[in-house]
Amino acid sequence: MADPQMISDEGATAVRQSVVVTEQEALDGLGNGMTVAIGGFINAAHPMALVRQVIRSGVEDLTVVGAASSGLELDMLIAAGCVRTLISPYVGAEGLAPIGPAFRKAAQDGELDLFELDEAQFYAGLRASAQRLPFNPWRAGVGTSYPEVNPRLKTFRDPLRDELLVAVPAIEIDIALLHAAISDRFGNVQHIGTGFGDRAIHAAADRTVVQVEQIVSNEQIKSNPAATSIAGANAVVRTPYGAHPFASHGYYPVDEEHVLEYVGAATDWLKTGSRSRLDEYLDRYLREPADHAEYLDRIGIRQILSLTEY
Amino acid sequence: MTTALDTQSGTTATPKEIMATVIANDLRDGEWVEVGANFPVPRAGALLAHLCHGPNMTVMFGFTKAYLCDVPVIEEFAFITDVRAMRWGEAYYPHDQLLSEMRFRRRGVFFSGGIQLDRYGNSNLIGIGPDYQHLKFRGPGGIGTCNATLQNGRYHLVTTTHNPNVLVERCDYVSAVGYGDGSPGFRERHGLPPRGPDSIVTPLCVFDFDEDRTAKVKSLHPGVTLEEVREQTGFPIPDGDIATTKAPTALQLDALRNRIDVIGALR
Repeated sequence: MADPQMISDEGATAVRQSVVVTEQEALDGLGNGMTVAIGGFINAAHPMALVRQVIRSGVEDLTVVGAASSGLELDMLIAAGCVRTLISPYVGAEGLAPIGPAFRKAAQDGELDLFELDEAQFYAGLRASAQRLPFNPWRAGVGTSYPEVNPRLKTFRDPLRDELLVAVPAIEIDIALLHAAISDRFGNVQHIGTGFGDRAIHAAADRTVVQVEQIVSNEQIKSNPAATSIAGANAVVRTPYGAHPFASHGYYPVDEEHVLEYVGAATDWLKTGSRSRLDEYLDRYLREPADHAEYLDRIGIRQILSLTEY
Repeated sequence: MTTALDTQSGTTATPKEIMATVIANDLRDGEWVEVGANFPVPRAGALLAHLCHGPNMTVMFGFTKAYLCDVPVIEEFAFITDVRAMRWGEAYYPHDQLLSEMRFRRRGVFFSGGIQLDRYGNSNLIGIGPDYQHLKFRGPGGIGTCNATLQNGRYHLVTTTHNPNVLVERCDYVSAVGYGDGSPGFRERHGLPPRGPDSIVTPLCVFDFDEDRTAKVKSLHPGVTLEEVREQTGFPIPDGDIATTKAPTALQLDALRNRIDVIGALR
């Protein structure tokens, strides 16, 4: 077997580097005004340990790119005052909250720059970024209110067939934050389930940070390379139960009780204009815990262990 | 709310069960249907068609391609993201792939909801109020309805709330376009295929669209009067010779209650 170390021209040894870091280290380069994308889908697979780190960092004026259908992770970022521009075709939690309450409040108050678009246009915008193009054309949207309420979507006639299409601008992402099942130390990430739109978000981003339930051996990844969904995350953070209160496929379902605790607090802000209940929630769960372990302490081991898929 | 209705089995179907039956009776074997988020009536309708007359249908279930005819009881899940719904998958539909591959949707049938549905078959999930920057009611966002209503072979509008605030003369915003402002040639001028929605299915009736692109009552659910529909609708309802919506057969009601909707979400 060959020596795993390579000898460079200078004679110094070069070693394959682990990309496993803490959530603080993973978001070291995050600054005001950057574009951050959050993976997952409605009530599942949001990188909540990283989202909480974003909120703790006190960063502002972010352009936040949600999933094609995002959940209350965006609502929490809005509630915490991190968001200037929001790019997402849906913010809600199905039956737990048909519409994100903080999203509703901020949008109705005119405090959100909303990039209104359809799910298919969303992927067209990600594709344009991945392909380093200024836009991707899309058929759906002509004749709707989308180009009126979002003038960044432009209707045009294509030069080849003269068809009316919508130009969706590239959604260029500085940092993509994702949650997945496993990764090895080198950023070879595998999802359980479909992975929703995480691959497309990764492809549109300059840098991708993935939090995972488990770090596994490189040999385990190599036993099924077809399952590798993100080949080469820039950083990986080990966060068991890291998607809580949302589901993590293969590990735990959504913690409905906890989601409803947030929905109650945020709805109080929407209905009364008073932030006291919401701030209490944000302080207790998002701002005060210094790291993921302290967050889990506050949720409690009994509650965490009660979450099971089968 | 229940409708007094004797089916062949002697039991009474609820308005939502009648809606699911309307959806099922419209679907044809071989069609492709996606069961979306938080929308139990189209889910039940699609499964009813699949189990009763659609063994070659593809039902997208929990982001998988699923064949469910041999599943005795199809468990209901509160969330589209519930991984337990993936157990019947023959293939995964990663969401970005699902929203990029449009060609196969020619045999697709879609069901769109809305916070407003209008006389000309447009639907709105964006919001309510004249000023977009300060909406009186911010909706959830259009999700994928703008694209799915255009790309699928045909589609229906569905609402479980039939009142004048939902069924309106004109939507404040249009997230999925039907016949636009209702003027002749609106769809053609916007490069859209000529066909808008096939129908609007509500707990009271079924609307369809005739050659003047305007919603007309096609059938009233059993026990519902035209006057009731008129009171609950925000656009004019002309008189006419109107059929009664076909009730579920005993076989359909049995499949609904014992295989598709055991927990009674539609009851």
